[in-house]
Amino acid sequence: MPARVLLIEDNPGDALLLREMIAEEPGEQFKVVAETGTLERGLALIASVEIDVVLLDLSLPDSHGMETFTTAHHAAPEMPIIVLTGLDDEDLALHAVQLGAEEYLVKGRIDMALLHRALRYALERSRYQTALARERDYLHMLLDNIPDRIYFKDENSQFIRINSALVKLFGLSRREDAYGKTDADFYGAEHAQEALADEQRVMQTGQPVFNKVEFETMQDGKRAWSLTTKLPLRDRKGRIVGTCGISREITHLKEMETALEAERNLLRAVIDNLPDHIFLKDAAGHYLLDNVAHQRWLGASSSREVSGRTAFDFFPAEIAQKFQDADEPVLRSGQGVLDQEEESVDAQGQTHWALLTKVPWVSDDGQVHGLVCLKRDITRQKQAEAHLKKANAELAASREELLRAMGRLQGAHTELREMQLQLIEAEKMKLIGRLAAGVAHEVKNPLAIIKMGVDFLEQRKTKDETVKMILKEMQDAVQRADSVILGLLDFSRPKQLEKKRENLNTLVGSALKLARVEMKGAIKIVRELDPKLPALALDAEKIGHVLVNLLTNAIHAMEGGGTLTVRTYSKQLTGVGRNIAGKESESFRVGQTIVVLEIDDTGHGVPEDKLGKIFEPFFTTKPTGKGTGLGLSVVKTIVDLHGGTIDLRNLPEAGARATLMFQV
Amino acid sequence: MSKPAAKKRIFIVDDESGFTRLLKLTLEKTGRFIVREENDGTKAWLAAREFQPDVIFLDIVMPKIDGGDVAQQIRSDPALERVPIIFLTAIVAKRETKTDIGGFPFLSKPVSIEAITAAIAEHTAK
Repeated sequence: MPARVLLIEDNPGDALLLREMIAEEPGEQFKVVAETGTLERGLALIASVEIDVVLLDLSLPDSHGMETFTTAHHAAPEMPIIVLTGLDDEDLALHAVQLGAEEYLVKGRIDMALLHRALRYALERSRYQTALARERDYLHMLLDNIPDRIYFKDENSQFIRINSALVKLFGLSRREDAYGKTDADFYGAEHAQEALADEQRVMQTGQPVFNKVEFETMQDGKRAWSLTTKLPLRDRKGRIVGTCGISREITHLKEMETALEAERNLLRAVIDNLPDHIFLKDAAGHYLLDNVAHQRWLGASSSREVSGRTAFDFFPAEIAQKFQDADEPVLRSGQGVLDQEEESVDAQGQTHWALLTKVPWVSDDGQVHGLVCLKRDITRQKQAEAHLKKANAELAASREELLRAMGRLQGAHTELREMQLQLIEAEKMKLIGRLAAGVAHEVKNPLAIIKMGVDFLEQRKTKDETVKMILKEMQDAVQRADSVILGLLDFSRPKQLEKKRENLNTLVGSALKLARVEMKGAIKIVRELDPKLPALALDAEKIGHVLVNLLTNAIHAMEGGGTLTVRTYSKQLTGVGRNIAGKESESFRVGQTIVVLEIDDTGHGVPEDKLGKIFEPFFTTKPTGKGTGLGLSVVKTIVDLHGGTIDLRNLPEAGARATLMFQV
Repeated sequence: MSKPAAKKRIFIVDDESGFTRLLKLTLEKTGRFIVREENDGTKAWLAAREFQPDVIFLDIVMPKIDGGDVAQQIRSDPALERVPIIFLTAIVAKRETKTDIGGFPFLSKPVSIEAITAAIAEHTAK
């Protein structure tokens, strides 16, 4: 395709000549695509039509001389323009070339070859210059807009070119102000010297310095971090004539890094100062990260000694295997465990208790990569707990002991009270004894007189039956009064037992013989005596008195006849069920063997309201004249002195049962 | 009737004059005894020396002097030391009469005349 030419020429002859010379060129390299005689029209065509080169006559109707070129060049700075001028204006044309015209042609001396060469050169030069200008523009664009600082220095490290970022940094208004100066004029001495040394090394060795982190201090005290690259600057022959370089301020990055580092240090300080063990393991059990507490537990002094190793490097195989076995389900299921109590042994063989929390370490794709573990030593709490438990148990034990002691005290207290009551009772009895002796003396003397009187009168041998009857009644009255006194004396007599080994059955036999005297009606006597009865320590005479008394009472209760059953047996107290009932429990203890005597009658029984008082002195259920009321109280006193018990109760069918019990 | 034996001399010491009088009457009525009564214990020794009894019945509880002291006085008198003394007292129970009081036999009041005469017979027979 031929290059497109715009012809601006007001002289039609010249215009024709030029047009024909272009058209006749055999290579058809150029073609006039537009033609005009005025500058105004020419500029309009430049703006509207695709033009590659302009042939411009300086003398036009609407513009003249140099102005014509400058106007056109201004309107289209990159458009190659060939100036056409007359013979007399060669100086003018030369001037135009200096201002940017590609070439000038003098009218009248133009031939086809010259024209073509001019057109071709103009076009070539224009293309070259355009490319050059573009390169330069790119370079300037970069140098003047990039925030990185770019410089060129000569072999003395004096600036020969700096970009606008450095102009700004140095606080200059023009870049030329820096030329001939060195770093020492702008930076602190330390940085300036270091930079100078670097540059000299670069020049000597030809080796560049890439991405060196520098700490810069400006002369006004401002500080900054930068990342600098320095290259040797070579001339066209390859000789090193200086240095060039680029540096980027990375203060904010450095600050970020510092902040990050501080944060990391802070986090590190937090995990290292925690007494809990914190560690991260991969799925194969390698420690990846841990804190000081964990390192100490492993017996290591730094994380380097731990990192990449496993529990097998620190513990006996069986313990390490235990750890690994415990990790396995968490790794498999992805389910963490919280505050699990774990008993373990440290590197020194000490047993520890820990509270272990294990959480799977899951990546974004959901894969379990390992475990995050948090372990708190609770050995002290465990020990304290154990101490507490022990103390509690001891406390409970001593409480038990106290309660038992209290029970014993209460028992002793009860015994003391009973003893006190017995003492009071004994004092009372002593008093009654003295009273009884006095009363006996005072009553027995008058009785003796009456008795003697009655005896005297009976000797008179009267035949009067009435007198005889009266004397008999008087004898009975004296006898009765005497027996009351005797009972009283018996009751109040100082109690002393003469105990021997006796068979209770033998005493029962003797007593039955004596009591039989009192039998009046038809009374059947049944003996159920245990032949293997163990011997007892008894006062035979006093127990005989007791037996006669009880048997007599039973006989008296059956005036119309009946059955008297006497039963003896022995038994061991088991404390089970009703084995110990009522009064037994106050006198005997479980495990003791006792001998029991029961006297059953089929008589009228004892009125229920009287049962409670039956052992009190002077209490009787018999009609006046039949009993003294002292019998059972004496009986009870004797039984008590033997350490036995006596109980009287009515039988459900009929009659009453007297029960005596003695400890073997 | 058989020949009457020599009457026994019975000395009764008791502050109860009613009792001594009746006992004396009853014993003497039998015709076999000569009875002297003494109601003041302090005079008993002298009265005994004077009366020279075959048997002495001695009360224990008496005002001014105890029957035991009287018994000691009499026993220490060579003229009376062989005379049996039977205590007669209201302060002991009947069935204790089997044993002695300080080596002396005794009877408990009230006492029947038969018991008295039996005791006299027993102790004068020796």
